[in-house]
Amino acid sequence: MDKMILSKSDFPKVITEIIKKNNVYAPVKNNDTIIFDQIKKPSEMNLDFCNSKVPPKKLLFHQTETLFKFTPGTKAKIESVDINENNVIFGIRPCDAKSLAILDHAFQGDFEDPYFLKRRKNTILIGLSCNKPELNCFCTSFDDSPASSKYVDILFTDIGDKYYVEIKNDKGKQLTKNISNLLKPATENDTKKRKEVEQKAINMISRHQKTEGIAYKLDKIFENPYWKKVAFKCVGCGTCTYLCPTCHCFDIQDETTLTKGARVRVWDTCMNPEYTLQASGYNPRPARTNRVRNRVYHKYNYYPKNYDVIACVGCGRCIDLCPVNIDIIDVVTRAGEVKP
Amino acid sequence: MVDEKRLRDEVKKTISRDDVKYVVGYEKGTYGFQATPCFAYKPEDADKFIFSPLCVHNLAVFPMLEEKPPLRKGEEPDTRKIGVVVKGCDSRAIVQIIQEKGLDREKVVIIGIPCTGVIDPKKIKDKFPGHIKNVEVKDEDDKFIITVDGKTQKIPKEELMPDKCKTCEYPTPVLYDILIGKEIKSTKKEGYDEVASFEKKSLKDRWDYWEKQFEKCIRCYACRNACPLCYCKECMVDQLNPQWVRRSVNLSENTAWNLLRAFHLAGRCIGCGQCERACPMDIPLMKLNKKIEKEIKEMFEYIPGINAEEKPLLAMFKPDDPEEFIL
Amino acid sequence: MKDKFEPNIIGFLCNWCSYAGADLAGTSRIQYPPNLKVIRVMCSGRVNPIFVINALQQGADGVLIGGCHPGDCHYERGNYLARRRMAILKKLLEYTGIDPNRVRMTWVSAAEGNKFAEVVKEVTEDIRKLGPMQHFKRENKW
Repeated sequence: MDKMILSKSDFPKVITEIIKKNNVYAPVKNNDTIIFDQIKKPSEMNLDFCNSKVPPKKLLFHQTETLFKFTPGTKAKIESVDINENNVIFGIRPCDAKSLAILDHAFQGDFEDPYFLKRRKNTILIGLSCNKPELNCFCTSFDDSPASSKYVDILFTDIGDKYYVEIKNDKGKQLTKNISNLLKPATENDTKKRKEVEQKAINMISRHQKTEGIAYKLDKIFENPYWKKVAFKCVGCGTCTYLCPTCHCFDIQDETTLTKGARVRVWDTCMNPEYTLQASGYNPRPARTNRVRNRVYHKYNYYPKNYDVIACVGCGRCIDLCPVNIDIIDVVTRAGEVKP
Repeated sequence: MVDEKRLRDEVKKTISRDDVKYVVGYEKGTYGFQATPCFAYKPEDADKFIFSPLCVHNLAVFPMLEEKPPLRKGEEPDTRKIGVVVKGCDSRAIVQIIQEKGLDREKVVIIGIPCTGVIDPKKIKDKFPGHIKNVEVKDEDDKFIITVDGKTQKIPKEELMPDKCKTCEYPTPVLYDILIGKEIKSTKKEGYDEVASFEKKSLKDRWDYWEKQFEKCIRCYACRNACPLCYCKECMVDQLNPQWVRRSVNLSENTAWNLLRAFHLAGRCIGCGQCERACPMDIPLMKLNKKIEKEIKEMFEYIPGINAEEKPLLAMFKPDDPEEFIL
Repeated sequence: MKDKFEPNIIGFLCNWCSYAGADLAGTSRIQYPPNLKVIRVMCSGRVNPIFVINALQQGADGVLIGGCHPGDCHYERGNYLARRRMAILKKLLEYTGIDPNRVRMTWVSAAEGNKFAEVVKEVTEDIRKLGPMQHFKRENKW
């Protein structure tokens, strides 16, 4: 791993260079909301944020994805969609970067999803460490750190008047080939400063979720009335699923006009009763209790059992935005304490 | 200040009745400036109930979320009542639902609280950012007394109240079985100033504004699910045969969704603001609803959620309804 | 010479009055613009704003709803209810920046073939002046 220093005054030059050959997505302020959007100039970026409203999974797992186009009739044809992009996501937080690695398991299991995986292969992640985690951030509950470089290709850490740049692999080296003259090797002082910034951020995280042995504990309390208490507040709005960086449920619809059409994949939410409604009219998850319990189990029991990783990264979006204050930190910590 | 002890006693009395299944009210949230809905099934649960200016949610959505799971053989359906703690605006939602026959008057026990204004969670989060641990909020005349981690501040209500409170004409619940406190007469009037100032813009400017807003929409349907008056068994957007609004997310479908939802709430929206609070993308949904509220008041002299015996707006007509637009 | 813009107008005509009136215009050989595409509904009260918005999404430049005169509705009150609905819908569209003159309503009875033709002429010219509907048309570009 290369450890370099980049002064903040040289930073726009790096972005301008990367924009030349790639689609660069960075945090952008749109009407008081920070979202990841494509930028054409470094001045469009806004790095004064804790985390974006919509997680960057949207850039790889599009909300509306055309699977293929078709024209009906006797001369029918099907046209598959080509994904040929070189993407760079700048400013992705370590928690969101981990979420992309978690999504890999879902899209790479028995069937490899060509759309997500092609984009994933052609996307380079430049992470930005958190200097000031917010009230509901809890990545440290999963043995992660707000300045972790584990799931990104390059990591930027803001250490005052310069960025500490860690280039992890060949992808990152290739990307920064043309501006390597702007990067200077990091001194011991710089490395010390970076460690201090990371420790300060870790100390700022005030809320913790108890996750030891949670998969095992959850196994024992599936039928427990605890879930009814948790789920009764839920109004089924679906906000948690749409803004969760690891949620990946989808629906496939055909959209047609009289002369042409396409098959489209769109995001869906398991909090909708229609999600599991079968054609016979039977619904295996008829009540909110079933659906809320399913969501918690999917993240903290089914995923760890299948792929050895808890499918929650501690970004805190669901806690910030739940209109009835269903707090996943609280729910899971208490679930671990329920006597079976 | 609302007498919390009296509230808890009344809730205890209500839940002790044989014919009440549960009572839903507010309790302290898990972080920061949060209050959260709380359910009391036994008299002891009533001790968690609070009422403070942080209780901004509309709890009228919960009687409509009752699910009717299939019954086992010989099992009787549970027809007991549901108790709801409501502020002035929330009670109008229940009255409107009773008017539409979505709920029986006998199915709810309404515990009303005269409200002097609540705090908008987004505004107070902006005012006190960062990691806050202990929060206490009280209200006194026209100021909120906010204690955060030991430090107390008095902030004028105008700065923190949501827009609906600034023009509230019904601080006392319109319909109630039990009232906690004395009735409050309203001192404010809804002048629809925001609607009037938006209407000064040209058609092109209006569309430019709404285009930006509708493009933000991620069609999570949080607005629909959090609204107490959106209780259709099958929503029009979930209908697949025929499919009126496609599921893909783009400007065309988002506009259709938002306009249709605003229309379906015409004469039914009571302005609690729950949709705007639930929206994760901060779309100003109340603007659309307020405009329709203004129009139906002027054109048809109808105010939603006031009289449970009245007929709903779009189910009746007057022979002299405005028709200057008809050729 | 630029091609004149031909608007696409969808007409929801009630079976008992407006549709019969349109039929009468046809049998009387009254000329009127061909821009109106008619969908017969049993009553103007059947018209849900979802139909209107869906029509505008699919490329219609305007929508015309034809019903019976007040008091003459075959189902007693459908036209009254439609009158209320369309009044609110037009105000809502105007507030969002969509010209309310794209959505029109008319009372045409089964004996008023002439009136129907006049209405179609007027509505077509009005919408021709407004231009094509761009605002939230479905792109179908995928």
